[in-house]
Amino acid sequence: MSDEAELLPGTLDLLILKAVSLGPLHGYGVLLRIQQISKETLFIEQGALYPALFRLVRQGLLKTEWDRSENNRRAKYYELTAKGRKRLREETDWWNRLSKAIATALAASPQEVTSDM
Amino acid sequence: MSVISYLKSLTQRFLRRAKIDNELEEELGEHIRLHADRLERDGLSRAEAERRARLEFGSTERFKEECREELGGNLLDLVIQDVRFSLRTLRKSPAFFAVAVLTLALGIGATVAAFSVVNAVLLRSFGFSEPQRLLWIYSQRADNPRTNFSLPEYCDYRDQNTSFEGLGAVASFNPSLSDSGEPERVQGVRISANAFTILGLRPLIGRPLIADDDKNGADPVVLLSYGVWARRYAKNPDVIGRSVNVNGESRQIVGVLPSSFALPNLDTDIVVPLQPESDPRRNARNSVNFLRMIGRLKPHVTAEQAHAELDSIRQNLHRQYLDTYTGKIGLTIVPVTEEIVTNVRSILLTIFCAAGAVLLVGCINLAGISLSRAGARQRELAVRTALGATRMRLIRLLLVESAILAVLGGALGLILESLGQGMLLRLVPTDLPRIDSFAVDWKVFLFASAVTVLATFVCGLAPAWLLSRSDLRDALVSSGRASAGGGIQSRLRTWLVAGQIALALVLLANAGLLFRSFARLSGEQPGFESTNVLTVRISLPQVGYNDRESMVQFYEKIRPRLEAIPGMQNAGLVSILPLAPKSISFIHFTRPDQPPSKPENTPSTNYRIVTPDYFRAMGIPLIAGRYFTDEDDGDRLPVAIVSSALAKNHFPDRSPIGQRVMIDDNDTGPRPVEIVGVIGPVKQTNLETPAKADLYLPLRQAHKDGVPFLRNSIYCVAKIDPKAAGIGYNVAQLRSAIRNVDPSVAVGNVRPMNEVLAAALASRRFSLLLVGSFAGAALFLAAAGLYAVISYGIQQRTREIGVRLALGATRGRILGMIFKEGAILLVTGVTAGLAIGLLLARFVASQMYGITEHDPFSFAIVSLLLATISLIACWVASRRSLNVDPVVALRCE
Repeated sequence: MSDEAELLPGTLDLLILKAVSLGPLHGYGVLLRIQQISKETLFIEQGALYPALFRLVRQGLLKTEWDRSENNRRAKYYELTAKGRKRLREETDWWNRLSKAIATALAASPQEVTSDM
Repeated sequence: MSVISYLKSLTQRFLRRAKIDNELEEELGEHIRLHADRLERDGLSRAEAERRARLEFGSTERFKEECREELGGNLLDLVIQDVRFSLRTLRKSPAFFAVAVLTLALGIGATVAAFSVVNAVLLRSFGFSEPQRLLWIYSQRADNPRTNFSLPEYCDYRDQNTSFEGLGAVASFNPSLSDSGEPERVQGVRISANAFTILGLRPLIGRPLIADDDKNGADPVVLLSYGVWARRYAKNPDVIGRSVNVNGESRQIVGVLPSSFALPNLDTDIVVPLQPESDPRRNARNSVNFLRMIGRLKPHVTAEQAHAELDSIRQNLHRQYLDTYTGKIGLTIVPVTEEIVTNVRSILLTIFCAAGAVLLVGCINLAGISLSRAGARQRELAVRTALGATRMRLIRLLLVESAILAVLGGALGLILESLGQGMLLRLVPTDLPRIDSFAVDWKVFLFASAVTVLATFVCGLAPAWLLSRSDLRDALVSSGRASAGGGIQSRLRTWLVAGQIALALVLLANAGLLFRSFARLSGEQPGFESTNVLTVRISLPQVGYNDRESMVQFYEKIRPRLEAIPGMQNAGLVSILPLAPKSISFIHFTRPDQPPSKPENTPSTNYRIVTPDYFRAMGIPLIAGRYFTDEDDGDRLPVAIVSSALAKNHFPDRSPIGQRVMIDDNDTGPRPVEIVGVIGPVKQTNLETPAKADLYLPLRQAHKDGVPFLRNSIYCVAKIDPKAAGIGYNVAQLRSAIRNVDPSVAVGNVRPMNEVLAAALASRRFSLLLVGSFAGAALFLAAAGLYAVISYGIQQRTREIGVRLALGATRGRILGMIFKEGAILLVTGVTAGLAIGLLLARFVASQMYGITEHDPFSFAIVSLLLATISLIACWVASRRSLNVDPVVALRCE
């Protein structure tokens, strides 16, 4: 398995948690919310959303409830649990640190490196 | 957990699954509808919007599966998924599916059938408590380690020993049994009442024998075997307390023995108390030997210590009663349970191993096919890996696939086994102890399950192992055909086929050895003519047949009736029929002019009481002197006829005709008889042992001490020309001729002597038949395996063959190349098989007759047979390479 495949599901989980933290959503709503908050820059395979949702439910980070959708049909809504909220905070911190570190690393100029070597 | 609550939880689980599936359907459906709504708002037609929405969503089935997997976590659901997937895969190759299930069904069925016989005879509990402390004791003589004790002897051992908690005695007892119906001959035992305590044996119903039953004047009682109870009384528990007539004496049924019960070399249709203390022979030192002993060792006493003690008692007795125990040189002491099964163990284990080997060869075949399939499926499996299936998951999938095959095969095998059980029971030789209540019990079931699991792993592990080694990503990159792992895979297959050939050779060699032994033995002359001879065992009631004269009168009465049967040529009586199982009668004799140097050197001989026409009826040739006549009666000089074996061994110096010998056939001491004839040797006990010394006495001169034994069991032998009236009619006439004289006489089944002869070969025929068919099956499977591996090799190398052809190789060369590979495989397999076969041969040494277990002829012939069949398979397979068209082959990528 490539590294990319390993990484992607984790990222998707984080995005889902973030999307749902802004208010209960059904599956399609999660998709729209992620596209909206990422300013349409992230592509998500629609179906792949569901295994991730099921995984988060099993981990106790999301809870579900059947309700009416905007078209007045039955739909399953996902909502963040307390545990999910905590996990979102931790993951966000971790992601921020990581991306900052990587950004710093990638921004390094030749001058900064030569002095130490 | 109770079964009901387990089923409940199982149903709940399935209901829950159904609910989850519905909800998933609904949830994903709603997603697509919502997306379609949105696309419609953007200006697409509804139909187009729905199409696009579905397309953008991706494969719903795949995501559903993944969702279930996320939910799953429980093994059952995962396995169910694998099972469903495997079933789908298997459905796509129905030929493989059918071949695999059938191979496994036959293999498992045969193995389970063999196991159920082994279980019934060898493994099942005997119903004895702590059987390892039970010993069976014979008197040992120079020429026979397993002979009987006399009653006073038994009582001395019983009263003087300190090694045993108890010492019992058993005698064979073959009376007639009757109640309301026709009297029947049964084969049972008289046993000292303490034997039940010694054996720790509990009856199935009723009570055991108790000390009071052995007392003088006790009410006569009898216990029935499970077999008699089932056959004669339809397992009616009300028989307890009923009276039956045993040899004319009324006895009360007090118990029924368990089906697992057996005693060494004795049939136990009925059991009656021995009553040793009230027996008239109690103090007759010189009386007849008719008892075997059974003892339970005290805790912490070893069999060796007990043996030493009994032997010192024996030596004291010899000093005390000089001349009484001539010929008894020691004791033979063996564990009871060993002694019951010792004769059949080797045969049964051979059959069992042969069945197991066939199953193994079958499994290896399937493993080989699975390997090729795994090779062909490598691309598919690689795709699955790329899509996220873990390697573990794939291995599990392959194991689940072989488990499905094994479970289906096992279930079908069990069905085949239970259908074939009736047939198997008919094939099983009747002298197999404890076989009559042979049934599928939990042990057989457990064994069948274990075999199924084992088959799963043998079939599935090789492909799974291969998968775990090969790099599947290569399979994706390369074209599926010339795939990675092909090298390991074909090498593995090659080894598997070589192993199969080796196994098949071991089985064939075994069958060959059994066949050669069987052929040798069937060719042996038994010493009599068995064609058109009918035999029937009869037993006379005690009442009215108290002395020799009454028996002679009985014979005089049946004689004219027998002679009146159309086609009758000769009819006579004999005390023991040749090759009749479990009957022994021999006596000691001396030449007055050559007294034995030591008492234990006194010669012994088989001892038979006959009427004059017996020899003619059996076609036993007269060599010198004369046959008996009706004039040889009680008023005349006692006479005897001996076999040529006795004449040769004991009268090498002169003709035995007219000589006198002292025979010890009664309770009072040796008496003289004059030899008037010499006849041909007869194999009395079995076909394997060479004919020994025989001594015949006329019925009219039989000693009165022998009357109770004669009355118990005597055979009528009739030579009949079946052309006169047909054998079936003759059988009925023979029975009625005897029964019309006295209806209280128990008449056994009429058996042609041919059948008696065949029965002497029955267990050999049985094992030969089974091992032979297993060997045939293994040969076929191995040849099929070889064929498959060679065809597969050609298919894999179509391109290479094409290149070679294009470069100018002749087809003959190509053929030779492929053929050579098959031949190398064959030579490897045969060499290994010969080595293993010769090594294992010692386990069948006891079943050999006339050849050694390393018989070069058998090994050579079966190797040749295997080589021929394999080379034919190889030839047929390699001819396929001739059909390769170089142009097509080069393009076949």
